[in-house]
Amino acid sequence: MEKMSSVKRSILTAVCLALCVVLPQAFHAIPNAGAIYSPIHIPVLLCGLVCGWPYGLLCGLAGPALSTLLTGMPPAAQLPPMMVECAVYGLAAGIFMRIVRTRSVYADLYISLLSAMLAGRLAAGAAKAAIFAPSSFTLAAWTTGYFVTALPGIVIQLVLLPSLAFALMKARLIPPRYPES
Amino acid sequence: MTGLPAGLYQPGDSVLHRLDPRAKLLALFLLLGAVIAADNLLGCAAVLLFVGWIVGLSGLPLGTALGSAARLRWFFLLIFLMNLFFYAPEEAWAVWWVFRPSGKGLVQGALVVFRVFLLLAAGNVLTLTTPPMALTDGMEWLLKPLGRLKIPVGQVAMILSVAIQFIPVLLEETETIRRAQMARGARFDSSRLWEKAGAVLPLVVPVFLAAFQRADELALAMEARGYRPGLPRPRKEERPFRRADWMALSVCVLLCVLAFAPV
Repeated sequence: MEKMSSVKRSILTAVCLALCVVLPQAFHAIPNAGAIYSPIHIPVLLCGLVCGWPYGLLCGLAGPALSTLLTGMPPAAQLPPMMVECAVYGLAAGIFMRIVRTRSVYADLYISLLSAMLAGRLAAGAAKAAIFAPSSFTLAAWTTGYFVTALPGIVIQLVLLPSLAFALMKARLIPPRYPES
Repeated sequence: MTGLPAGLYQPGDSVLHRLDPRAKLLALFLLLGAVIAADNLLGCAAVLLFVGWIVGLSGLPLGTALGSAARLRWFFLLIFLMNLFFYAPEEAWAVWWVFRPSGKGLVQGALVVFRVFLLLAAGNVLTLTTPPMALTDGMEWLLKPLGRLKIPVGQVAMILSVAIQFIPVLLEETETIRRAQMARGARFDSSRLWEKAGAVLPLVVPVFLAAFQRADELALAMEARGYRPGLPRPRKEERPFRRADWMALSVCVLLCVLAFAPV
C-alpha cells in the first residue's frame, strides 16, 4: 500500500466510486438493505484503507452523491448526513492506516477500520444533532440507527473488508503493506 | 440488477442534448435552489411546469426521463404517510392509536415528495442528455475555483468521469457473477434475511476482485501512454456560451426569483 502510483490510486478510487452505485443495486433485493447492511460504506472504507485519506475523502463525498443522482438511492433527503458519514469513513480509514503500524497487516486493518467506523458514526451523529435534525435527533435515535439497526452491516464490514484487502494484496492488485515479511 | 441504472447517457439531438454541459450544470444548481425555495402554490406550479417542459424538450420517453424518480414510488408513499400521520400531532383531525393525521402533515408530506421527485427527475434528465466526457469537462470548469485551494481539480474530474464509465461495466460483471453463484446454489430469492445476506457476500468479493483487476489494467495502460495527473490533457477548445445556453440560464434565474419571491 506504500508504492502505488497516483494514477493507480485515482483509478482505484474511480472503481470504488462506481461500486458505490453498483453494490447497493446488488443488495436491493433485500428489504431495507441500505439501513441494515450499509453497502455503500464498503467501497468507501476500502478506498480509504487502500488508496489513502485524500482519495477516501473524495470517494466518501462523491460516492453517495453519484448513487443518488443515478439510482435515487440514498434518497436526496438522507444524502447530506450520509455524505458527512462516508467522507469521515474514507478520511479516517486513510489517516489511521497511515499512522498505525503494528507489523501485522490484519492488526493494522482492524485498528484502522474500527477507528474509522466509530469516527464516521460520531461525525454523522454530531452533524445530525447540530445541522440536519437539531430538534428531533436524540442519543437513543443515534444508537439505534447507527449501531443496532446497522449491526448486520457492521459485522459484514468487519469480516469482509480485511479479507478483501488481504485478497487484493495476495492477487498483487495492490502492493503488500510489509513487503519484507 | 437487470438493465442499466437510470441516468446513463442516451444519444440524441434535442435542444437539451445540444446545450453546453456547463450551462446545464449551472441550471441544475439554480433549479435545485428554486425547488427547495418553492413553498407556495405559484412557486410549486412554476417549478413543476419547468421540469415538465425540460422533460419534453429532452425528447426522451417519459418512462426513461423519470426512471429513478418513478422507481421510488413506495418510498414517496411512506414519506407522505409518515408526514401525514406524525408531523403535527397537536393539530390532528382525529386520533387512532398512534396515528394523528393533520392538515399541516398533509401539506408537509406532499411538499417533501414533490421536491425530491422534481430533483431526481431534473438530475436524471441532465445525465441522460449529457455524454460523460462533456459532463467531466463541465464539472472541471465548475470546480476550477477549488484549484486556488490546491485541490487537483483535473484529477477529481478524471476520477468522476472514469467512475461513471465503469458503472455499466461493473453492473454487467456483477450480473455475470450473480448468475455463476446461482448456478453454484446461492439463494438470492430466499425469504430469510440472513440467507439473502449470506448469498450476497460471495457475490461481493469476486466483484471487488474483478473491479480491481480492471482498474489495475486501466492504470497500467494510462501510465504506459504517459498520463500524469496534474498535466493538462487534450480536449476540445472551450467555446463561449451560445444564445441558447444564456437563455436556459436566464429562465432558471427567473424561476429562482419566482420561487423565492414572497406571496
